[in-house]
Amino acid sequence: MSKIVTVNQLSKTLGNIRAIDNVSFDIESGEFLAVQGPSGSGKTTLLGLLAGLEKADEGSILIADKELTSMTEDQLALFRRYNIGFVFQAFNLIPTLNTLENIALPLYPERMNRTDMLERARKAAHDVGLSERLDHYPSELSGGEQQRVAVARSLINEPKVIFADEPTGNLDSKTGEKIIELLHNLNKEKGQTFVLVTHDDKIAKESSRIIRLIDGRIEHDK
Amino acid sequence: MLHYAMKELLKRSKLYLLSVMVIGLVTLMVITLNSLGVAYKEASRSPFDDIRGTIIIQRNGNVPENVSGVLLSCSLAPIHQEVTSRISKINDVRDISTALSLWVFDAEHFKRVLGVNWSDNFGKKLTSKLIDGSIPKTDREVLAEKTYAQRNALEIGGKIDISGQQFTVVGFIETTGNELVASDIYINLRAAQEMAYQSKNLQEVEAFDKTDVNIVFIDAAYPNVVAVTQQIKQIATSDESNAGKTPLGQTIGNYNIYTPESFENQISAVFRISDKLIWIISLVISVGAALIVARNTLHNILERRKEFGIMKSVGFRSRDIMREVSIETFIQVLVGFAIGLILSAGAIVGLAHTTISIAIPWELSPYPHFLLANPNEANVVQTHLLPIKLEPLYVLSSFLIILVIGLITSFLGTWQINRLKPMEVMRYE
Repeated sequence: MSKIVTVNQLSKTLGNIRAIDNVSFDIESGEFLAVQGPSGSGKTTLLGLLAGLEKADEGSILIADKELTSMTEDQLALFRRYNIGFVFQAFNLIPTLNTLENIALPLYPERMNRTDMLERARKAAHDVGLSERLDHYPSELSGGEQQRVAVARSLINEPKVIFADEPTGNLDSKTGEKIIELLHNLNKEKGQTFVLVTHDDKIAKESSRIIRLIDGRIEHDK
Repeated sequence: MLHYAMKELLKRSKLYLLSVMVIGLVTLMVITLNSLGVAYKEASRSPFDDIRGTIIIQRNGNVPENVSGVLLSCSLAPIHQEVTSRISKINDVRDISTALSLWVFDAEHFKRVLGVNWSDNFGKKLTSKLIDGSIPKTDREVLAEKTYAQRNALEIGGKIDISGQQFTVVGFIETTGNELVASDIYINLRAAQEMAYQSKNLQEVEAFDKTDVNIVFIDAAYPNVVAVTQQIKQIATSDESNAGKTPLGQTIGNYNIYTPESFENQISAVFRISDKLIWIISLVISVGAALIVARNTLHNILERRKEFGIMKSVGFRSRDIMREVSIETFIQVLVGFAIGLILSAGAIVGLAHTTISIAIPWELSPYPHFLLANPNEANVVQTHLLPIKLEPLYVLSSFLIILVIGLITSFLGTWQINRLKPMEVMRYE
């Protein structure tokens, strides 16, 4: 396996708190990595930095041989579009778009043919088992369905790495299990790399690797 | 992106309703008010349709002590041929017509007599009002106004006595009775000049030469009316023979120059509004609208900041989001403009059914009020339908104004969206 993510001496301060403190690690392509730690340990901040949603104060992040820390906001946005998928705890769907359109959202700035765009979204919806709910709006979907839409949206551009921040945090345990199962299946079938922030030890144990953060530092990595 | 913008506007129409309504209101106000202003200007030209000219010149004279025989109407003073000749040489004067308006106090009854040069523009306009007979060919032939002729049982071929001289009626003309320089009898200018020249009473009041007139009509294209008027004033200043004041306080010898602008103040109407006020109102509502639309847009951007954060997180650049917001703004501008345009068209159709009244100055509607039982009857008022129409210039202007409002709004939106950090939005939402 090759390295898809290389993090070197990464630091980030939020206000007066050192949220990430001199962190270094690598992620192999196809890995299913869980990031754990108590509240305030820097898990979400680390994920934000890796996804290019936040700027690092020090250190470097290399994803697919591209250095993120030197990129501008617009370069980061473009990089995210093609290389990174992100699944949020709160689903973060656009309320005025239906399932199909929410899945296709990353394709909107592409100026591509609408039929092709929706066809790709339909395939992604099929992959996450949402073929029957394409015309529904977020308010008409259950929490599990909304998270499936978010997962499908993160897959639409076939990114190399998918980051998921507490993807089951807003779901009941049964629905949460199904979502995790879906992510594992995608990991196996498509070979995509998953980095997952979770409080749930059960989910973490099912991962191929766990990084535990405390006070912004890696406590253990195995 | 257009599809997304349309869905956003339709699904959250309440958020955008205020902006659309404000844009519609700006369009309505700018188009309607300015079209109203143009309509008043147009209306102020209406009285001039009677004379085929755009400027009328008269000169204040002395008031006669003895009101009998032939006199210059309304105490007007003669305008000498040398002056009309100089005026005719002014650049931009397309045509010059002259007339001599007389009051004839005969023993039987009073007559208004107008000397006309039938070959000039004013004469030709009068000719177009001929309803029977033909225009006078000799200095002994006259036209009678239809109502006057009926009242005095005049017939074509019949005789009429004017200041002791016999004239033959050769035709009738029909006027509305409230036109500029209305008269009872129309005769050749040369015959009128001879009549005035021979009048002892008139010569005692003003020194009248055989080639003098007392009304000059000038035809100048509208954009040049002001410039021509300035040059006429220069000529008039050099001709002034100040000799005291008239009973109305006007300087004797001073020239009165009437242009369509002179009539603007004579217009009375329900929706009378001045140009300055129109500009002030247009400016205030445009600035007010810009503030409201900008505030509303910024508020909406604030409301949707999480949505923009999501968009950034899935790969939208700031410029992609701005393109989206600009499309939404442009659609609001177009819809608001379309609503405003429809409302303006409705308002203009309604206003086109309103009438305006234009008071004609006494000197231009020569009738001696002291002869009337009710002196107010001498006050001539013209009534016209307001000539208002949808002015393309102001349709374009209003569109440009709201486009500027849209651009300002988009600019402010760009500034707001550029500052937006996706992770911060996600973290605090």
